Amino acid sequence: MEFVEQTEAAIETWQAIKPPNRAALKFVADLAAAISAFEAQRGQLAFEDEPSSFEAALRETKA
Amino acid sequence: MTNLADLSLADAVIHARNGGSAALLEACLARLDAVNRNINATIWVDREAARAAAGLADKATITGALHGIPLAHKDMYYQAGRRCTCGSAIRRDFVPDVTATVIERLSKAGSYAFAGLNMAEFAMNPTGQNKAFGDCRNPWNSDYITGGSSSGSGAAVASGITYASLGSDTGGSIRLPASACGVTGLKPTQTRVSRYGVMPLSFSADNVGPLARSTRDCALVLQAIAGIDSKDPTSADEPVPDYGAALTGDVKGLRIGIPSGALMDNADPAIQAAVEQACAVLAANGAIVRRIDVPLMDAVWAYVGIISRVEGAAIHGRWMRERPQDYAPHLAARLYSGSAVPATYYIEALSRRGPILRRFAAEVFGEVDVLAMPTIPMALPTRASVDIDVYAAGGGDEGTVARFNAISVNTRPFNYLGLPALSVPCGVDPNGLPIGLQLVARPFAEPLLLRTGDAYQRLSDWHTRRPFRFGA
Repeated sequence: MEFVEQTEAAIETWQAIKPPNRAALKFVADLAAAISAFEAQRGQLAFEDEPSSFEAALRETKA
Repeated sequence: MTNLADLSLADAVIHARNGGSAALLEACLARLDAVNRNINATIWVDREAARAAAGLADKATITGALHGIPLAHKDMYYQAGRRCTCGSAIRRDFVPDVTATVIERLSKAGSYAFAGLNMAEFAMNPTGQNKAFGDCRNPWNSDYITGGSSSGSGAAVASGITYASLGSDTGGSIRLPASACGVTGLKPTQTRVSRYGVMPLSFSADNVGPLARSTRDCALVLQAIAGIDSKDPTSADEPVPDYGAALTGDVKGLRIGIPSGALMDNADPAIQAAVEQACAVLAANGAIVRRIDVPLMDAVWAYVGIISRVEGAAIHGRWMRERPQDYAPHLAARLYSGSAVPATYYIEALSRRGPILRRFAAEVFGEVDVLAMPTIPMALPTRASVDIDVYAAGGGDEGTVARFNAISVNTRPFNYLGLPALSVPCGVDPNGLPIGLQLVARPFAEPLLLRTGDAYQRLSDWHTRRPFRFGA
């Protein structure tokens, strides 16, 4: 099954949302690039054992 | 003699303190009547309530720093009992029953809101275009975009309709219209300003901040709205400094870094030249300017789009199920694609935000105090060339989406990183449209950022240029 069709089916199954127009499927196809960029980061940074506290990082890195 | 509508916010404050609130309001309304047909900056105007508020202010004891100042804001700040459209057909008749903390704080400082300003539908595009209420148009040339999503804020401040305006910024929505309309815009540090009572787009990346005609005026507004809010548990318990006191004009020894790589090098040559010239002005007055490598940008880029996509899709899920036809076509399409991103991606993107910020801050702000780069890295596009709804309907060309996405390429990373960022005017592009210089600093370093922007505006006059000239 093609990526777009797979994704369309998953969205309908999980969220009960149908593609609102043709462009929606174009944007779904463009997610392939987002996936590639995301996967390229695998192994670059470890997933933190504890949930990361972004707010703590803001405080730690202030002047 | 200066038209009252063209006063700086700081000067308007002095005028209002001398019983001039009603005169200021009438000047703003007269400017609105003169220019709004061309720029479509407002969604609603409440003249009656504003005149009543001005009358009261002119008789009342002065209690706040913005006493008697008429202001207009992006139409996504809830005021109990007052319509708030969020720039959308879906919320065309929405009347909230709460008031945003920032509106209450501005009111406590003595100002009053007289209009709701045009914006991108649900604050979700960088061009500022809007199908439900019509495009807000750039006051410098109506063929061109205003930048978004705070389109009306940028256009109204530039035109003299309001002295300052609250915008919101999830991927650049304060800085982009500030840049495109030739005004100053500040996205504060994430958590610096309460978001209670503000239409959400992305819980993790939404920010509230001012657009105004100078850095000094932005500091005045930030002073009124910053600080912890018990109604917004994400707001930071950090002291609020005296932002006005930071505006010393001194940049001696200030270390400014121009990023190597895409943030600078992918910009149009004319835009690069304007940014370099602005940095040269600061260097001539004692700042130390150098190139700097900026780490982890591939990771930032991989993660930044995931978070706002998913959070936006979740917020809009019910309406996407029940009334998708009521969204602009491009917005429905973008929200739809956000529904496809796995939750594991979303959690990963969030979990890496802290570690990336720590390393970014250590490597960048260990070397320089402020980063400087273009706000919008290209000559401002026309509305037609980035009309993504035309593309969504099967028109336009394949470059439409690329041009649309390129507008915010330099602003979105700093929403992921949560850093404060200021856009100040620094030139005009080959078509005569404004260019913005984006300055970025450490978390909670708004005083440094404002000092740098103010110092530049003491040394240049780009921020004083207006699209319209009116007599007194």
